[in-house]
Amino acid sequence: MYRRLFIIAVLLLTAVAAGGQSPPTPDQADQIRTLVQQVQQLQQRVTELEAKVSAYPTPVLYAGTAPVGSKPVPQETPAATVQAHQHEGAEAQAAVRQIETHYPSLQVRGFGDADFSTTDQKGTTSGFNLGQLDLHLASALSQKVSYFGEITFNAQPTGYTVEVERNIIRYDYNDFFKISFGRYHTPIGYWNTAFHHGAWLQTTIARPEMVKFGGTFIPIHFVGFLAEGNIPAGGLGLGYSVGVGNGRGENISRPGDAGDNNNNRAWVANLFVRPAKLYGLQIGASGYRDKITLADGRNFREWIGSAYLVWTKEHPEFLAEFANVNHELIMTGQSSNNQAFYAQLGYRLPWFERTVKPYYRFEYTHVPPSERLFTDTMDLVGSIAGVRYDITNYASFKAEYRNSRRTPGDPRVNGAFFQTCFTF
Amino acid sequence: MNATFRRVVTLCWMLMWVSVASPYPALAQTSRGADIAVVVHPDTPVSDLTLAEVRKVLLGERQYWNSKLPVTLLIRAPVARERDVVLRVIYQMTEAQFKQYWVAKIFRAEAASPPKIVYSNDVQYELVSAIPGAIAFIDARNVPPGLRVLRVDGHLPGEHDYPLR
Repeated sequence: MYRRLFIIAVLLLTAVAAGGQSPPTPDQADQIRTLVQQVQQLQQRVTELEAKVSAYPTPVLYAGTAPVGSKPVPQETPAATVQAHQHEGAEAQAAVRQIETHYPSLQVRGFGDADFSTTDQKGTTSGFNLGQLDLHLASALSQKVSYFGEITFNAQPTGYTVEVERNIIRYDYNDFFKISFGRYHTPIGYWNTAFHHGAWLQTTIARPEMVKFGGTFIPIHFVGFLAEGNIPAGGLGLGYSVGVGNGRGENISRPGDAGDNNNNRAWVANLFVRPAKLYGLQIGASGYRDKITLADGRNFREWIGSAYLVWTKEHPEFLAEFANVNHELIMTGQSSNNQAFYAQLGYRLPWFERTVKPYYRFEYTHVPPSERLFTDTMDLVGSIAGVRYDITNYASFKAEYRNSRRTPGDPRVNGAFFQTCFTF
Repeated sequence: MNATFRRVVTLCWMLMWVSVASPYPALAQTSRGADIAVVVHPDTPVSDLTLAEVRKVLLGERQYWNSKLPVTLLIRAPVARERDVVLRVIYQMTEAQFKQYWVAKIFRAEAASPPKIVYSNDVQYELVSAIPGAIAFIDARNVPPGLRVLRVDGHLPGEHDYPLR
């Protein structure tokens, strides 16, 4: 109530100030005098109302002795004030009804990017390309059941492909146990579950080689069920996720969406800590086990071990991840170990309203000659250095220089990459 | 590790230290004022949290008070001082980082919805009173009757070492 009076007073003062731009005529002088009197009356009224407000009962402080506002003498409020409070109360109740969660409560968010690239690699052409158009759906179906979906539209030479990237229904029992079913990003390492398909979310233009979409080094997607939650461990911030699913299909870059191609389920387990005293730090380790059956009938046992350390604050941001992928050809017992890691450092500069973030990433992939499954995966030693500029809170521009070499003795490839990415 | 890699790492470290040495603007733009009370619905089974626990709640890492009572986060709309204190002390984020954090959180399927944005204190009082499990941040001078004010790190608003101010 008194706020409204105060606003009226301010408006009147503004009118007075506006009128004061030229010498007042006698009529205006009278008006000004009248208005000043009204303002003084309103100020007096505001002071009275403030005094009454401060005389309201003390708030209930269950946690201990009240150190705030302590005049427990309720005053009888005038009828006008009561009416005003009733009106405000009705408004607030309407707002409460509006803000309460209704089921289902579907939220849709989109991500997109447009890119330009040029390299000195023989046989490649420079040019623009449209990145992924990504739609993310999230809907609370009840207080404890939620749905999450992610669909991408991918530009191809002959048109667009549509891919269901994630399709998850989750039941939350409490913070310690949440179970979900569907198609996920496999919880191996950090990047694969931290950034998903929205380029705007990640600092760099592209994912590291070891977790790139369409790649084979780790299984990016996983169809099955997943249990996850926190583990009571005081300030250690321990968390877990454990899942069972189909594992890789005959095409090892894809999961068995339409069914497993053997009778062996894959399992994955991920354990991480987020210490309360080191806000921003996360350290984790993952294990993954599967049996892979190829179209030619060969069977492989796969064992992936992964560890990561990340500092998620942006001054600095540090991400480092390592994975070892072991494959054993079951028929001969021949085994090989493939390693990959990356380390990325970014820093959001304190200048330019903190819209600029330079970054650097080093990455390494090694596939030994004895490897029989990763026939399309090649070695890589590469560096990228770039800068991200946040045009708005929801759109960014990134420029990147890349230098990489596939095998020792090959010439290094230099490239410049640009991206504008956004969420909507 | 080749020479190029070493040079770029050295450059990155130099850049980082230069920017660390230069004055970093405060995360919140408001000056210090009254304490900000952490208030919950009276039926919420909690009366004392550490700052780290409050942070866990606000980050959406703790989403349930118990298996039957989910947390409902209420945060004032931008410009309100309560929001500035929450972002500066608890999240340690800028407005842009806060928005990006919640977009990413929902995108990772870790939460179904972001905190509810409240545009006035009156509505905030009504919501905390009406929604079991609701938690909000209110200027300690204006805490209305009937709400539970939590101790943070063992302190109530107004006490010397109270962290939310």
